[in-house]
Amino acid sequence: MIELQSVTKDFAGVRAVNDVSLTVEQGTVAAVVGTSGSGKSTLLRMVNRLIEPTSGRILIDGADTAGVPAPDLRRRIGYVIQDHGLFPHWSAARNIATVPVLLRWPRAQVRTRVRELMEMLQLDPDVIGPRLPHELSGGQAQRVGVARALAVRPELLLMDEPFGALDPVIRAQAQADLARVQKRLGTTVILVTHDMAEAIRLGDRIAVMRAGRVEQFAAPADIIARPATPFVADLLGEGDRAFRYLSLRPAADLARPEGPGAGPAAGDADAPPLSPGTTMAEALSEMIWTGRDHVRVARADGTGGTVSRDDLIRAGRPE
Amino acid sequence: MNGGTRLLILPLALSPLLPFAVFRANRIAEAEPRSLVAALGGGGAALAVAGLAAMIGALVLARRAQVRTVVAAALVVAILLAMGWAAARLTAGGPPQVRVGPGAGFWVALVSAGLLVVDARARLHPRPAMRLAIVAVAVAIGAAILWSGALSQLSIMQEYGNRSASFWREGARHLWLAFGSFAAAMLAGVPLGIGLTRARRASAPVLGLLTMLQTIPSMALFGMLIAPLAWIAANVPAAHALGIRGIGAAPAFAALFLYSLLPIVANTVVGLTGVPRSVTEAADGMGLTRRQRLTSVDVPLALPVIVSAARIVLVQNIGMATVGALIGAGGFGTFVFQGIGQTATDLILLGALPTVALAFATSAVLDALIGMLPGTAR
Ligand SMILES: Nc1ncnc2c1ncn2[C@@H]1O[C@H](COP(=O)(O)OP(=O)(O)OP(=O)(O)O)[C@@H](O)[C@H]1O
Ligand SMILES: [Mg+2]
Repeated sequence: MIELQSVTKDFAGVRAVNDVSLTVEQGTVAAVVGTSGSGKSTLLRMVNRLIEPTSGRILIDGADTAGVPAPDLRRRIGYVIQDHGLFPHWSAARNIATVPVLLRWPRAQVRTRVRELMEMLQLDPDVIGPRLPHELSGGQAQRVGVARALAVRPELLLMDEPFGALDPVIRAQAQADLARVQKRLGTTVILVTHDMAEAIRLGDRIAVMRAGRVEQFAAPADIIARPATPFVADLLGEGDRAFRYLSLRPAADLARPEGPGAGPAAGDADAPPLSPGTTMAEALSEMIWTGRDHVRVARADGTGGTVSRDDLIRAGRPE
Repeated sequence: MNGGTRLLILPLALSPLLPFAVFRANRIAEAEPRSLVAALGGGGAALAVAGLAAMIGALVLARRAQVRTVVAAALVVAILLAMGWAAARLTAGGPPQVRVGPGAGFWVALVSAGLLVVDARARLHPRPAMRLAIVAVAVAIGAAILWSGALSQLSIMQEYGNRSASFWREGARHLWLAFGSFAAAMLAGVPLGIGLTRARRASAPVLGLLTMLQTIPSMALFGMLIAPLAWIAANVPAAHALGIRGIGAAPAFAALFLYSLLPIVANTVVGLTGVPRSVTEAADGMGLTRRQRLTSVDVPLALPVIVSAARIVLVQNIGMATVGALIGAGGFGTFVFQGIGQTATDLILLGALPTVALAFATSAVLDALIGMLPGTAR
């Protein structure tokens, strides 16, 4: 659990972070969004003490981070930045091994751990491992950066616009990978991003920052349903907030059982059902596109169901 | 055939028209030119011209850079051996004080052929290890020719024969001056450069001072150091015991050291500040201490830039160390200035040629080393 208590940072007359207090629960993802210069990076860098707060305290599992020598603290905290910051003179594998080597792990253990991490992030250890960073694609370099940050199983992972430099397709995949890895390891993550959609997709809670202050810190559904300030509403974009809201839940939640006598002819019987992970927003989009008012959705347990357009539209408006 | 080759073929082809050797009745007498025919005899000259024509043909026709490199290198060797042979022929039966040295035709042919080797080798794009091997082979061939005695009748070798002991002594002194002052400058300059990246305010004045030092002509700097060092020698017994004197090696060493500092310090600063911000930020974020970041990230990444300064400094020092002879520092410059004093061209060459060869070899080796550094891979 990470607790920020009235954290403030002044840079020569500029108050970059202004009295921020928030708590990130163990194993959850806190996304930090806000306009450029709102203090997101400064906030993040105070957690691993790349920047020392002017005032306020930061606690990890109840212990004040100021009481630990900064290098020791940082070795326990994963850190991923936008330009990945891989060491250009070291191979991908050596980059991933950075912190284990600093901690003097035995050689064999380092090697096993590097392989394990590369496999977890879908990088072929024999092909990618020996390459230098300039021989990697942007997506590969980014995943090597994540593997490096996870090398010693940190309880906390800090990410500063980790996907900012990726194209949309690779970015979506990297986001899915992060979600998968985070669930599997139970790591606590603080993720800084410019992209509200990314914050909604990945964050258990979202902190919206403006001019050094956190304007709202809440679950995505709450942020969308009840933006605390006009600035938060602006950042969400009023035009598609209903779609954003629908994108939070799986369509299967609205499915009614299929079968003889279960209401009107269920869509086109010959259309294959949508996959279990399909969100309500995607299901609605499918209906608009195909001109139907029902779609079939598969459930994770193998059963199926039908979702109606009216139910979806009703679900798009928070009570 | 490329532009470089074409440009060099012409002087090479015309070189037999120039006097191949020069003849002197004694080592300081007026030089008399000797044509290729006079130097090698009619048959020898015909053979030499035919051989030259064949090799030029091969150079023009060969498509592969390997072939051109080998042919041009063989040509260099052949020109040297022809010179040795000419010297043996022209001195045979004459009085011992007769001297035969290289003439204009020899120099034109040798320089053209040498540049052809360099040009063809560059087109090989050899890997760094291969480049080191090529330097080693070239040095070995050169040494073998000198040791074989094939050139022993050549005037320069005669000068060497009369001074072989002092030649090696001055050579060792030259190396010590050039490499020792370089090593001292590295030991002082790299830490100074590292310090300047941390105390940025000091950076501009320190670099300004070092730049000013660079602009002082070498003779003036040597001279300026004589007085303070003489004072130190007179007043600090320990310094005197170390051999520090107002004239001699100490001021030369100090001057070379001072000249070396600017390139080393400046390149260290440039190299270190060129490390991408994202890399230093990641290093700090991973929990590297300052020292760990310096030794395993900053310095390795700055190394290509620092080593290229080392190359500049070494080549510069090897050349400038010759001037030290003027204030009694020794080195190959001793022969150059003696030769100038006696108007003995061969003695000048005895000092100049090893200096040039040393600078060439050092530069080639350091070039290869720069290519071997990680992160500079193409
Ligand atoms: N080292 C520093 N020295 C002085 N001012 C700084 C420093 N770092 C950040 N600032 C200032 O603090 C404010 C917040 O910067 P910060 O980098 O935290 O913003 P950000 O939200 O991460 O912006 P972006 O989205 O553009 O990355 C800005 O006004 C910035 O100019
Ligand atoms: Mg930022």
